[in-house]
Amino acid sequence: MFGVMDISSSALTAMRARMNTIATNIANLQTTRNAAGESIPYRRKEVVFAPGLQKGDDGGQGVHVAGVVEDPSPFRMVPMPGHPDADENGNVYFPNVDLNTEVVSAVIAMRAYEANVAAFEASKMMVSHAMRLLG
Amino acid sequence: MADGIGLGGVGGIGGLGSTPAKPAQETEKGDVSFKDVLFGKIDEVNSLQKEAEAAMSSFAAGKTENLSEMFIAVQKADLAFKTLMTIRNKLLDAYQEISQLRV
Repeated sequence: MFGVMDISSSALTAMRARMNTIATNIANLQTTRNAAGESIPYRRKEVVFAPGLQKGDDGGQGVHVAGVVEDPSPFRMVPMPGHPDADENGNVYFPNVDLNTEVVSAVIAMRAYEANVAAFEASKMMVSHAMRLLG
Repeated sequence: MADGIGLGGVGGIGGLGSTPAKPAQETEKGDVSFKDVLFGKIDEVNSLQKEAEAAMSSFAAGKTENLSEMFIAVQKADLAFKTLMTIRNKLLDAYQEISQLRV
């Protein structure tokens, strides 16, 4: 009876995970060091989805996060000789995060979330209307 | 599988609704009384309500950040309870009809 709602629920959770990753990317737009403090810039991350409510679910209903992968594209190189993380040539490597891409991804994630809420509402209405058959 | 998806949408009262519609299957399965089906559904509604309550309290305690999962659990419990009430009302109507029969 509520299988449809579990599908919508899994999609909402997945979209939230996507939004988290996008927010992390935007937050680390200028991060020139890694968590250990070494001069390795932040690498843009992307969420990958797979069908099924959880890993190994071959029923194919719903969606789940298959993993978070790193974007292998090159870092942005900016000449800034005074920067503490500059290399011997005075260049600083900034993360390969493009703000425009991230903002568009955020809009897509938001719209997808909205669409899933609409799908949930539709299935809710179907159950309510089914009740009218008896009431 | 395809049938499962088709029924899943509307088939809320699935157990109840589909029994009279498929007499062939019913005789194969043996007699399932209305009472058993109803009690089974009541248990289902109860477990959904407990699920919703657990989701709400874990959210209130700050253990989870997943708002949507909690809201959906609450909605599921609400719809299940409304369905149960609809069936109960229908049953009571039937009882009233019979009790008002003139002998």
